[in-house]
Amino acid sequence: MERSGPQPRSGLLVLVSRAVFDPAIGSTGDVCYGPEAVTRTRPASSSFRAEALAHADALFRLAYHLSGNQADAEDLVQEAYVRAFGAAAQYEPDSNLKAWLFRILRNLHIDLYRRARKNPVSGGLDGEEDVGAVASPELLRDDQELDRLRSVVAEDIEAALLSLSPDARSVVLLDLEGLTETELASVLGCPVGTVKSRLLRARQALRQRLKDYAR
Amino acid sequence: MTPMNPNDEALRAALQRLPRRNAPEHLKRALAERWLEPRRFDLPRLARSVVSVAAGAALAATVLLGWRAHTASQGLFVEAVNDHLRVLYAEHPVEIESGGVHQVKPWFAGRVDFAPALGFGGDDDFPLQGGAVALFLDRKAAAFEFKRRLHPITLFVFRAEGLAFPSASRTIGSSQAALRTERGFHVLLWRRADLGYALVSDLDEQELAALAAKIAGPQAP
Repeated sequence: MERSGPQPRSGLLVLVSRAVFDPAIGSTGDVCYGPEAVTRTRPASSSFRAEALAHADALFRLAYHLSGNQADAEDLVQEAYVRAFGAAAQYEPDSNLKAWLFRILRNLHIDLYRRARKNPVSGGLDGEEDVGAVASPELLRDDQELDRLRSVVAEDIEAALLSLSPDARSVVLLDLEGLTETELASVLGCPVGTVKSRLLRARQALRQRLKDYAR
Repeated sequence: MTPMNPNDEALRAALQRLPRRNAPEHLKRALAERWLEPRRFDLPRLARSVVSVAAGAALAATVLLGWRAHTASQGLFVEAVNDHLRVLYAEHPVEIESGGVHQVKPWFAGRVDFAPALGFGGDDDFPLQGGAVALFLDRKAAAFEFKRRLHPITLFVFRAEGLAFPSASRTIGSSQAALRTERGFHVLLWRRADLGYALVSDLDEQELAALAAKIAGPQAP
């Protein structure tokens, strides 16, 4: 029997079209979103650009802790804004602009990270894998361990954070920036449940690292 | 933000001590320059400098050209007086004795490269004495000699092409003329079509203007 009217688009086609038109997805395709947004070609207004540029500090912090150095972080931020303003029409006005920008920057970093292949793709980028040696939940539950955690200096905290996988770093940093679990899910491109488990394991891994610094 | 147990709170407190890595100022500046609209009239420094220099040069050129034009036009008065004195000092101030304008005007044919237009041939107040060929600046001029009582009056008629005439200050008959007193001589300068006229004398200014009005012809009704 022949079907009439518009044909439903295949999931792959939707994914490809979104990867092409949605800078927040980039080429990674690691998304778990609903129906695609209608692609528009409205240029970024000056007020939109100004509002987005107000998040430069937060974007730079994430970029720095993802790349590990200032030069790469600056490039990441610059490129993220290029992508963002090139696809401003896809931004939903009622959503969190900062989270949208984080998502673009993170996906951009993943693109570059995979392209450079300085580190293996597995073991850090796809979420369910290693986020560092997961410490026992009981590890720091005594006051002595908490005191040790409080004594860690800022540089050691940063070093410990940088020793985590990029995915673990991202979820910790984005949580620190005040994003909700839903917004974290949007940025990381995964369900809220996955965000919770990632965050739990990332915190455990970080506490384990900090325990070492506190000794 | 996700709910936290005491350990998570301690971790969060530790993370709050992370070095505050804000975007460097040069990055913020670069972003702003690239993405924010420039302020109106906020030209880059180089462009402002170029505009300033160009404006200064234009002003200087305007002043220079204006000064040169002013100097050149004022030079016509000086030249008129000098030529008037040259005529007076000449052994024969007039080369053709006047028997009337219809005698003098034809005399210039072949002597100057233009036909001196002159609608006034002298009267009892300003009798025409005669004419002569003179030099006015770089060109030949037809010099007409009038007289008022004992005052000699010289009218130079010359091609006006390429000469900067001074701004007119009064109406003389059908023309606008400029008046200036130079070394005790009054000079009236005006232009009509492609001919220039310079009337020079030590005569009273009003009387000289009266003669000029007769030469220039009546004002159009």
